[in-house]
Amino acid sequence: MSADLPFASVTELAQMIARKEVSPVEVVRVHLERIATHDGTLRAYITVCADAALVAARAAEAALVAGRPSGPLHGVPIALKDLYDTAGVATTAGSKILAGRLPATDATVVRRLREAGAIVLGKLHMVEFAYGPEGLNAHHGAPRNPWDASVERMPGGSSSGSGVAVAAGLAPAALGSDTGGSIRIPAALCGITGLKPTYGRVSRAGVLPLAWSMDHVGPMTRTVADSALLLRVMAGYDPADASTSVLPVPDYLAALSGDVKGLRVGLLRGFFLESATPEVRAAVEGAATALQSAGAIVDEVALPAVAHVAAASYAVVASEALAYHTGWLKARATDYDPEVRKRLQLGAFVTGAHYVRGQQVRALIRDEIDGALARRDVLLAPATPLTAPRLDERQTTLGDGPSDVRGALIRLTRPFNCSGHPACALPCGFSAQGLPIGMQVVGRPFDEATVLRAADAYQRLTDWHTRRPVLA
Amino acid sequence: MSELFDAVTLSRTARLAGFVWSTEELEALRPAVEAALRLLATLDALPLDAVEPTTQYRIL
Repeated sequence: MSADLPFASVTELAQMIARKEVSPVEVVRVHLERIATHDGTLRAYITVCADAALVAARAAEAALVAGRPSGPLHGVPIALKDLYDTAGVATTAGSKILAGRLPATDATVVRRLREAGAIVLGKLHMVEFAYGPEGLNAHHGAPRNPWDASVERMPGGSSSGSGVAVAAGLAPAALGSDTGGSIRIPAALCGITGLKPTYGRVSRAGVLPLAWSMDHVGPMTRTVADSALLLRVMAGYDPADASTSVLPVPDYLAALSGDVKGLRVGLLRGFFLESATPEVRAAVEGAATALQSAGAIVDEVALPAVAHVAAASYAVVASEALAYHTGWLKARATDYDPEVRKRLQLGAFVTGAHYVRGQQVRALIRDEIDGALARRDVLLAPATPLTAPRLDERQTTLGDGPSDVRGALIRLTRPFNCSGHPACALPCGFSAQGLPIGMQVVGRPFDEATVLRAADAYQRLTDWHTRRPVLA
Repeated sequence: MSELFDAVTLSRTARLAGFVWSTEELEALRPAVEAALRLLATLDALPLDAVEPTTQYRIL
């Protein structure tokens, strides 16, 4: 039993715990032991809450024996990107500037997960203040991608520890945040599932920001069903976050019928598929074919306005990030990771007019995606155009030419941060080098149910998500 | 492009934004600043006059 527990899904763990087939204490212990064995190499965790997790596990066990389970995640351990506030536990956003910061309260989503019975294993490494997609951090080093740790490949970021922890069985689920792709990029590079919900679906209260109008928070798991389960708990109106919607939260698990007959899928050509390397492109086209074979109606669609996403996204993110960091950048500039400091400094050269034009382009992109989804249920595209680069790699070659690695990693994810549409990344193959390939399923605003249904159906047709990295 | 963004111009722009950075620091930033401004200039070329900017959106 214990040997299988680190790779049991959240859904399986919750069921086994509810049936008293396994104790929450055993589940937590197995994960803590695995962290102790492997995290010295992988570096997924910045803080391990071993004692608190065991105390919570014993309480969960007692509650279960007394017939008082907390909720659908009773006794299930999770881990959190180090920008989610956790009462009494350091929350630093991977920075030196916030070292030792102890929030007084939990972020809204952390509170909701705890109320549903989840147990926090610890806090996960990340790019400083979430400003970068590679997964690098000058203060703490980079977590290692478990699929090729010997070659030291990027885990993707900024939720780098979240991707590594879930892929390597150091947590059954984690939370990430996504401003330009920071859930979906590490999900793709580490071979797991990552869901960026619609802007406004999940509260950002108590989550340290990068760029308020682009930030999304969401689950990172090994299966789509697990993301559906976590989203059900996390989503919904929060008076502490004015951007959250009052729309009711559906039962996302109930939507996972496995049936895609008649589902209209738009395969995103042009900007999306043509930029992918041949291996990535073939894998995503193969996924479209698999869905078609299962009864989906697949056609091709292009989104020309997305060509301007880099400039629009840059204008908005650089401005909002600088606004948040101005005080620290004046007083403690040398305490930043030099790369992050440079990115923040560049925001000083963006004008107000640039910011507004960026917002205008966001409207164009949003309307174009809405138009594509008026005639289709979901869109399909690569999550990243390439597989995990080496940690020292700065330039690469994509399907349409040379690119810097940073730009390549965020190229295909940030259109949906600009537009706010929900997008779920999941594995759709492996490269010849044995590295995961990720695709993303995009849906209409607040229609995560259909996104998850399509993605889950694909996981029922394939076994990419069941493959595990071999750790030393 | 480089003539347009000499050290003095970069320094004044940074000061307008409230930052006092050394000449060395600004020189190190210069290539990235120029690349960013080239990228941002592409926004000026777009026909956006009839497009209302996204401010706060889709809150239902």
